[in-house]
Amino acid sequence: MSGLATRLYRGEAGIDVVRKRRNLWFLIAGALVVVALSSFLIRGFSLGIEFSGGNQYQLPASAGSLTEVEDAAKTAGAEVVSAQTVGRGDSATYLLRTGEVTQEENTTIKQGLAQRLGIAADQISDSRVSPAWGGQVTRQALLGLLIFLVLVSIYLILRFEWRMAAAAVSSLLLDLVVTAGVYSLVGFEVTPSTVIGFLTILGFALYDVVVVFDKVQENTRGITSGAAQTYPEAANLAVNQTLMRSINTGLVALLPVGGLLFIGAGLLGAGTLEDLGLVLFVGMGAAVYSSIFFATPVLTLLKSREPKYVAHTQRVLARRAQLAKGGAADAKAARAARSEPEPVDATLAGTAAGAAAPKAGARPAPRRAGAPGNRGGNRGGGGRGGRPSGSKRR
Amino acid sequence: MRPGRQLAVLGLIFVVLYLLVFFSGTGNLPFAKRVEPKLGLDLVGGTRVTLTATNPNGTAPQASQLEQARQIIDDRVNGLGVTEAEVVTEGNQNIVVSLAGKNDDRLKDIGEPAELRFRKVLKVTNGAAVTPPTATPTPTASGSAPPSTPPASEPAATDPTTAPPAGSESATPAPTASATPPPSHPELITQVKEKVGDSVYAQAEALTEPVDTSADPAAAQTYEKFGDLTPAEAAALPVPMQFNVPTINCDQLNDRAAGSIREPNQQAVACEGSTKYLLDVAKVQGTDVKDASAVLENGSDWAVSLDFTGSGESKWTALTREAYNNEGSACDASALGDQQHCLVAVVLDNKVISAPQILGVLSKGSQITGSFSQVQARELASKLKYGALPLTFNASEAQTISATLGTEHLKAGLLAAGVGMLLVIIYAFFYYRLLGTVIFLSLILSGLLVFGALIVLGRQIGFTLTLAGIAGLIVSLGVAADSFVIYFERLKDEIRDGRSPRSAVPRAWARARRTIISANAISIMAAVVLYVVSVGTVKGFAFALGLATILDLMVVFLFRHPIMTMFANTRAFLSPKVSGLGRVLQRDTETPATTRNPRAKEA
Repeated sequence: MSGLATRLYRGEAGIDVVRKRRNLWFLIAGALVVVALSSFLIRGFSLGIEFSGGNQYQLPASAGSLTEVEDAAKTAGAEVVSAQTVGRGDSATYLLRTGEVTQEENTTIKQGLAQRLGIAADQISDSRVSPAWGGQVTRQALLGLLIFLVLVSIYLILRFEWRMAAAAVSSLLLDLVVTAGVYSLVGFEVTPSTVIGFLTILGFALYDVVVVFDKVQENTRGITSGAAQTYPEAANLAVNQTLMRSINTGLVALLPVGGLLFIGAGLLGAGTLEDLGLVLFVGMGAAVYSSIFFATPVLTLLKSREPKYVAHTQRVLARRAQLAKGGAADAKAARAARSEPEPVDATLAGTAAGAAAPKAGARPAPRRAGAPGNRGGNRGGGGRGGRPSGSKRR
Repeated sequence: MRPGRQLAVLGLIFVVLYLLVFFSGTGNLPFAKRVEPKLGLDLVGGTRVTLTATNPNGTAPQASQLEQARQIIDDRVNGLGVTEAEVVTEGNQNIVVSLAGKNDDRLKDIGEPAELRFRKVLKVTNGAAVTPPTATPTPTASGSAPPSTPPASEPAATDPTTAPPAGSESATPAPTASATPPPSHPELITQVKEKVGDSVYAQAEALTEPVDTSADPAAAQTYEKFGDLTPAEAAALPVPMQFNVPTINCDQLNDRAAGSIREPNQQAVACEGSTKYLLDVAKVQGTDVKDASAVLENGSDWAVSLDFTGSGESKWTALTREAYNNEGSACDASALGDQQHCLVAVVLDNKVISAPQILGVLSKGSQITGSFSQVQARELASKLKYGALPLTFNASEAQTISATLGTEHLKAGLLAAGVGMLLVIIYAFFYYRLLGTVIFLSLILSGLLVFGALIVLGRQIGFTLTLAGIAGLIVSLGVAADSFVIYFERLKDEIRDGRSPRSAVPRAWARARRTIISANAISIMAAVVLYVVSVGTVKGFAFALGLATILDLMVVFLFRHPIMTMFANTRAFLSPKVSGLGRVLQRDTETPATTRNPRAKEA
């Protein structure tokens, strides 16, 4: 275990994220989306009173027992839908929810409660929401989501390129669907605060993706001029190098949110803090996953379709095959390997799984830049491409 | 030296910010109060009402209309004697009334009266809910003309200055009867026909007089299904049907969508209590009212005094003349007051708030009398005075937070912030050892900057810190810490590559800077988009998040980088015991031979 921890720490975990298991990640992502979507259809969401409309009363628990309070509310004319105690200790309160009542009825209920329980009316908090309110909040949130997606796509295209933007946005969407799926499956209550928090995940999900892609971009800059690494390998390396970073940023971002959730749920019981904390917690957890195991695989999938990189990958593999034959390096072998890259592919995967190997070969791209791109060259790059992998073949 | 200069810039920003905190726009605040950010009402208790304004066609109003409405609401709030309340517009259709530190449930009614119309009462019938098949007739209505003799409390409109002029002045009666509007929602009508059946619908449509169910109990059964119509469906029916079908009751009519009968050129049906009125076109509107106030009459009775604008006055005179003389006998016998004059209903939104009998041809200075209490008179006056809103409002959200609950919120928010910060700092020290100090210091710095900015912004642009805002700040802690992780991990990379700390710091910085800026740019973008489009508490959240992220960037550039540059020159920087980076270095010095040699051999 400590071995893995150290390797993680040093960015050398050598986990093959983008090549061998790419389809596995897509399969998992697909399964998650299917589960989430079917849950939307079958279970739906449990919506807070902001969506159905209704009234909510909150009063100090010192006013009496919960049944007393409930009875008092009923006598005052309220149609109590639910009554619960929230929070602990001195700050414990009772939360009563009723159907929608008019303003006059609301005042009557409040006064009735105060009278029967012998507390001052201004100790009772109440909120009344029309059914339209939740809808309005959600509509604006969806509008915000749309605007944000457009803006962020433009930004990412300018900052990176369209394939990266597409990969980032699709991982973002996965994140959102998974988070919503968790809400639907577990049956957490959806309130306007949840919707807000949901939007905040956007920033975080992309934050992680940007960190990973930045490294991918750095690792793959000028990659086509050398023949040491294929694009997927370089991308995989970037993921490994940033793995600790992703875990770290994810953890560090989750910590304060955890505090929020803990205090919000423990002390206040219900409300803005808890709702926000929960949705952020779930969403950011999903964001860490999707930035590592979905964004980069999508990117490499898109990238490996690009002609430039197709040619380059073949060149790299050809050269590798040639080196593997140990000196019997002539142009014929290279060409043969180029036309049939599959068997070599398998070898390679073995290499990557064999850890440690890619480390030095991967890093400073500039140093490699001078290496001849000549695919037949048997000396290229000071043996950089000639890995121990050769010996492992077969 | 560059690091020194950056720190100096940061110092300058601090000094300026806190000078602003203590000495700008503070007025005569005591010193201790100057360091308090403006807290939202969910933290100090109070009342907040969000009103959503719509045009009659259901679309969002224009900005100028909304602003006009905001001013009217503001006037109304002040009219209640609540001067500290804030009334602001939010988004493109909300008006938010908030009163921090005090509870006042009266604020919740502030948006309710929507549009004021004065309509002559043509006919009156009973609008109580009919219980169909029971043999015993409903006890309230007796005979076909319910309130033929108004009770003592029946209000009357008089001119206190001049005696009612006797005799009739001949004026051409207005062609009111022809003003029946065409049905506006054919799809709803179809829906109604499905519910009640085509034949019953046709029968109902043919009615010319209200059906009295006490005289004709079978009718209640015939039209029973009309009682199940939704308010929207009831509103879609032609006006005579709304009035004549006995099973359409006042509950349904009162619940019609706001603005259902706002059209002044159409007749309308509306209720007062359980009395259903058929009303003429609106000849005087809320905009014609200049002022209204509650006055004490004869030292004991409260009355409402009305004053009209120039053109409003002539309209009012014409209307009262028409009503006083019952020109063209437009008013049904059932709709005459005890002195055989027509009533004029004051219609607010969908309801009749008062229907005084017109006791004279009135000009200005009219009074509505009745046995009002002071409160009732004031309420009526205020509705009359401010009934000229151009829009209709729905209270989307109305909230009262008790002071104790507010304090709980504030406590919990601060505690959550404290816990969050503590967790981040523990993690930083655990993972980065002494470098954790840099994280710690910059979090403190960011915190102070944010705090100062909150106070200044609270004063300058009225930004209030709400619970959601505190949550935004807590979330931003994560963003701030993230930018560290990126930087330090970069630094680790560089050191692992065998660079000396002194050259690693600037290299790592150059690369991490790119990542940090792009990542933070996205955070800020998210916050800005949220702030611009969102409604409700989201705004405070987005603002706090965006503010904290921007300030964090500032701390990154002006504090963390220079400090790290200075730090890199010390020896402790590389010791594995003090800086989390040392571990990488240590391993690297142990292992390079094993990792590099085999490859060299291969080649």
